[in-house]
Amino acid sequence: MKTKGILKNTLVSVSVISLVSALAACGGISKGDDAEFKPGLPSDTTCQIKVAGNYSNFESLESEFERFYEYYPNVTLNYVYLDDYENTISSALSSDEAPDIYVTGSWMLDEEKMKPVFENAEILSDPALNINLDCVRKGARWTLDNGDVVMLPIFTRSYGMLVNMDIFEKNSLKVPENYKELVETCDKLKAAGYENPIMGANVTTVAGMYYAFSFPLFCANVIEHPESVSALNSMDKSAGEMMRPALEKIKTFVDEGYMNPALCSEEIEDDYNAVILRFFEGDVPMMLGSGDMVSGTQKRESKSEAFIADPFKYKFYVVPSGDDGGYFLDSVNLFFSVNKNSSNLDMTNEFIRFLMREKELGNMSAVKRLITPTNDFSLDEVYSSLDDFPEDRSFNNREIGLNDDVNNEFRAAAYKVANGILTVDEAVSEYGNLWDD
Amino acid sequence: MKKTLIIVIDLIIMMLILFFIIQYANTKMNESNESVAEAFEKMTVTAEQIITNYLEDEQHLCDIWANYINRMAEAGEPMTMEEAISFVRKAKLYPTIYGHLILTDDSSKSGISTHPNAKDPDDYSVSYRNINLFDRIDEISREDGVVSLTRAYTNPQNGVQSIAFMNFVTILDESTGELKEALLMRVEPVSLLEDKFVFLKGEYENEEISLINKDGDYLVHGKSLKNSNFFEFYKSYNNANIADYENMIEEVTSKTGTMTLTNSKGEECVISYTPLTSMDTWFLLSYIPAEELKATNSVVDWLLLGMVTLGLMVLLGFNYLVLRLYNIKLAEAAEAANQANAAKSHFLSTMSHDIRTPMNAILGLNEMILRNSREEEIIAYSESIRTAGKTLLGIINDILDFSKIEAGKMDIICVDYYFASMLNDLVNMVQGKAQEKGLLFNLDIDRNIPMILHGDEIRIKQIITNILSNAVKYTKEGSITFRVGFEKIEEEPDSIRLIVSVSDTGIGIKPENMNSLFTAFERIDESRNRNIEGTGLGMSIAQNFLAMMGSRIEVESEYGKGSTFSFELVQGVKDFSPIGNYEEAFKNGILNREKYRESFTAPGARILVVDDTPVNLTVFANLLKRTKVQIDSANSGDEAILLWKRRIYDIVFLDHMMPDKDGIETLKEMKGIEDTPNGEVPVICLTANAISGMRKTYIDAGFDDYITKPIDPDNLEALLLKYLPKDKINVAEPDSEDDDFFIPEFIWGIGSLDADRGITYCGGRENYMLTLKSYLDAAENNANEIEKYSDAGDIKNLTIKIHALKSTSRMIGAAKLGEFAARLEDLGKAGDMEKVKEGLNELLFMYRKLISDLEPLYQYDEKTDETKDGKPLIADEDIKKAYEELAGFCDSFDYDSVIDTLKKLEKYKFPEAETARFEALKEAVDNFDYDKIPEILHRKDG
Repeated sequence: MKTKGILKNTLVSVSVISLVSALAACGGISKGDDAEFKPGLPSDTTCQIKVAGNYSNFESLESEFERFYEYYPNVTLNYVYLDDYENTISSALSSDEAPDIYVTGSWMLDEEKMKPVFENAEILSDPALNINLDCVRKGARWTLDNGDVVMLPIFTRSYGMLVNMDIFEKNSLKVPENYKELVETCDKLKAAGYENPIMGANVTTVAGMYYAFSFPLFCANVIEHPESVSALNSMDKSAGEMMRPALEKIKTFVDEGYMNPALCSEEIEDDYNAVILRFFEGDVPMMLGSGDMVSGTQKRESKSEAFIADPFKYKFYVVPSGDDGGYFLDSVNLFFSVNKNSSNLDMTNEFIRFLMREKELGNMSAVKRLITPTNDFSLDEVYSSLDDFPEDRSFNNREIGLNDDVNNEFRAAAYKVANGILTVDEAVSEYGNLWDD
Repeated sequence: MKKTLIIVIDLIIMMLILFFIIQYANTKMNESNESVAEAFEKMTVTAEQIITNYLEDEQHLCDIWANYINRMAEAGEPMTMEEAISFVRKAKLYPTIYGHLILTDDSSKSGISTHPNAKDPDDYSVSYRNINLFDRIDEISREDGVVSLTRAYTNPQNGVQSIAFMNFVTILDESTGELKEALLMRVEPVSLLEDKFVFLKGEYENEEISLINKDGDYLVHGKSLKNSNFFEFYKSYNNANIADYENMIEEVTSKTGTMTLTNSKGEECVISYTPLTSMDTWFLLSYIPAEELKATNSVVDWLLLGMVTLGLMVLLGFNYLVLRLYNIKLAEAAEAANQANAAKSHFLSTMSHDIRTPMNAILGLNEMILRNSREEEIIAYSESIRTAGKTLLGIINDILDFSKIEAGKMDIICVDYYFASMLNDLVNMVQGKAQEKGLLFNLDIDRNIPMILHGDEIRIKQIITNILSNAVKYTKEGSITFRVGFEKIEEEPDSIRLIVSVSDTGIGIKPENMNSLFTAFERIDESRNRNIEGTGLGMSIAQNFLAMMGSRIEVESEYGKGSTFSFELVQGVKDFSPIGNYEEAFKNGILNREKYRESFTAPGARILVVDDTPVNLTVFANLLKRTKVQIDSANSGDEAILLWKRRIYDIVFLDHMMPDKDGIETLKEMKGIEDTPNGEVPVICLTANAISGMRKTYIDAGFDDYITKPIDPDNLEALLLKYLPKDKINVAEPDSEDDDFFIPEFIWGIGSLDADRGITYCGGRENYMLTLKSYLDAAENNANEIEKYSDAGDIKNLTIKIHALKSTSRMIGAAKLGEFAARLEDLGKAGDMEKVKEGLNELLFMYRKLISDLEPLYQYDEKTDETKDGKPLIADEDIKKAYEELAGFCDSFDYDSVIDTLKKLEKYKFPEAETARFEALKEAVDNFDYDKIPEILHRKDG
């Protein structure tokens, strides 16, 4: 269990005021942000900029390099994959070949050894840099307690389900918007011959079916009871009760036959590739999973013989597990920070300024098929359901304040209840001892 | 050739040249591209050798370290890890090069380094636990000289992308005192290797060198090759199927080669690949944008190509300008030529008119002479004038026709025609001439030839006339045979092929002259034939006409023996009824013609003749005198219009060429007048324009018909018969015996005398003439007796005399005088002597006027008396003169004139002394033995 001290010391949740103002700002500029990029440096500037990260392959960034070359043809941008990124990035930053831009993650803020990473980070909220931070939506923003921004969200992900729109259209069904409708829809689908209306990977990972199905619901419950956060984080057995509503819905769905864990295990070997390919078979109305699953669909369309033979339209939705609808758990996947010691800092900042626009962030996300950190979901129709998603049902992990152990405990409980290993009561009562390494 | 066409051809040629140049350039370019690609590939191979050398050198350095450490172990003095790394630290030259010594049996893959950790200057430990680098540790070679190289990875100590050369060493484990195997790594930043590559680029500015391993992962990563894996890059940006993809991997990882693919920007790029020698795990890729490779290809001199194109364009422009200039000049020349041609046409037209107008007078007046004259000599001269005039007209017509053909304005106008009628005309024209020359004229006409054919009758007639005339002209003795046959055409059931041939026993044509037979203005055997008149156009015109009708004249000839001219001509058929026996038809035709010529008068008809030349009006009036048609004349358009408004006419003859207001203008004005009794009256154009096509001009101008001057009396009478109202045409009594009896022309001209009526009353022409004569003989005496009885107041005898005058006058057709006499007779019978006397003077005036008009009858009578006993005796002087003429004609080989002269002489009676000579002359001419004539003329006795 990692200490939350750093988090607490260096980062505070965005204040309500800043939230409101940011929201207003974002709302105000979100649609008008697509103004043409205006280069601020001589276009014949020659220099090399290196971006270091832990993605072995970063095509979406490379496509941005190409777009940036249109303004600065003599600039060379390189992406470098660092082995053992966690351990090498801080050394790399102090080496002769230090990257100008590097990938960061929210978890790094909690790690002592990652301190040098942020010590080298440029404060991007400096107004002199003229970087448009306002285009980032509320849930994707990360600001230090002093108001400085050192990390810029590039991709976000969420948890939910891929919906086979053709099946719904064929059966004249609309995608359910709340729990009641979800149950009704499942009944109708079963009646229409879809024995397993909801499928997913029967595993304990965040990409597994139960996390997507009920973790946002659990989080919503926690948000409603903020006093429970401390007990949950400290693995207090009594805090297990917070999981009950979510676990009961899982139990109901299994019992009603809407979800069949055994069949899912049989037909879906892993939580990524297999999930996607099973979904492309075309007979699964709803496939639970993470944003990474959605990201993987793009390249796998051409690998699925079934999908090639009989393609269909699909979209991502959060699971409507609440009585009023589903919950959008906003999770930043990847941040960029700028090396303040970069020998080409001006051009590096120019690239960041170029990148931090709805259009470019949207493009990158669309290439990667991840969720853009902005409010403009128009570039990828798969995520169009997130357009105008109600603010009161959107949140991120930072707001919730739960640590990874709680996350693990819930995933274990959900898995065990779904697979009949534990009853709901047992799972609730065994909180703190559910996760098996 | 049209200007546009020339420009188009120019452009096509230009395009072809450019096409050729571009094709050639492309071929050269392709060849060159191949060689450029080869050169690029060679460069790649060279780079590979340099890199391999470099890597081998670096491996060698690593091996030296390892060997030293291993030799120490082998020598029994194994080094500890610390000692080993300390040695390496001392041995290495560059501070950026790290030495790592890793314990291979340690799962954490950790060891010590020559350098401290970047984060901790006291920490020399190094761990590869989180770096997946030693999966194939067993494959690392233990032999010297074999390059054992890692992929590019992040140096865990400093976070720098690096590669490492490896070798195994044996070291001493201090804790156990045992020897252990460890992996010695010479760790170099990838940038060091990349720096070497800068020198490999050579002439290629944008060349990027990459090194990949078997999986496509980069050791050195070129900027343009996106993706962390080359094979993935290929897959992402090139729509290759699995087979292509696998083939590419196989190629790249097994051999040296070059491929073209698409980069992340969708641009074409060239990649040469070759495995690093002595290492089967690394492969060199040389990337270059295809554009740059093409740019280095200087085989095609684009400047030259551009200049050639520009040059061609300039040439085209220049040509165009020159062409325009020439066109302008040509247009001017053409305009001038057109004007000249127009002038020629105008000249021809004018000439036609100007010659024909006086000819009209000549021939018209001559016609009058022929009609009126009773003197054989005068008639003979007059006949000569007519013949010469017609010949002259023929020549003019030929020239006009030829000009027309040359100008391409000769049209073939097809009409339906009676074939027999055409034959009539032809035979009429030629038979006489042939007979005059003593030639036998044979006809061989197929009696099954269809009756009505469709074709250009006039031209066909012209062609055959030409051939027949020539036959007559060039045949001295023997015969001329005119054959017309036909054959049916299977493909065209409505047409036949006429086969016309004319054979003669004439002078024939030498083979060498055959070619010039149809050449215009060329007369063959000129020296021999100069006495034969002609322009040399006839056959040329005939041949041209036939060519226009899709045929040609064929000639077979034997010099001195005769010729056969023949042609075939397709003619449409309107009536397949056979013409039958042509000769019979011909005779019938002649009879019919004679009938109408002599049977028609139209005293009730009135015509208007308009011509600015008074003599033409006279000729016209005289030509029609016999028809009794009432003729009004006008000598200008305006005068004609006045008459047109006032009087009723049955036909108007209107001259075309008149000063002030010409015929067409006058006609338009006439037709525009509404207040006229002559609305529907036919108007016939009088014209001296005999140029073909004029008919259409006149019909288009509103004329109903036209007749050419000099006016052919037959044609004129035919027109009258056609256009006069039928009820005004009097058909005379059927043929009487004395129909041929001659009535002098002047009789017809006496206004107070209606000869036709007189002939009718007298019961024939001869009786009429006898009556007239007796009327005339008794006239003077009768008039005197009337005066005498009047003076004596003898009213009874006076009345008887007046009665006689009434009867005789009516008898001879002097109706007016007769009527007047009848009134006086009535007065006389009533005893009104006074009133009789009052009218008597006028009666006697009219009577004496008629007597005076009839007096030429005495002369006529004298003339006929003179020839009663045969022919007039020729005066010696005239004989002498005639002989001189004959000698002159013979000297000039003018045998036609010889013939004419002899014909004239035949009309006289010769003194006995000259009879034999004259007969000898006739015989010589008949035998075409003209050479004998001078000899005969020089004989002392006849």
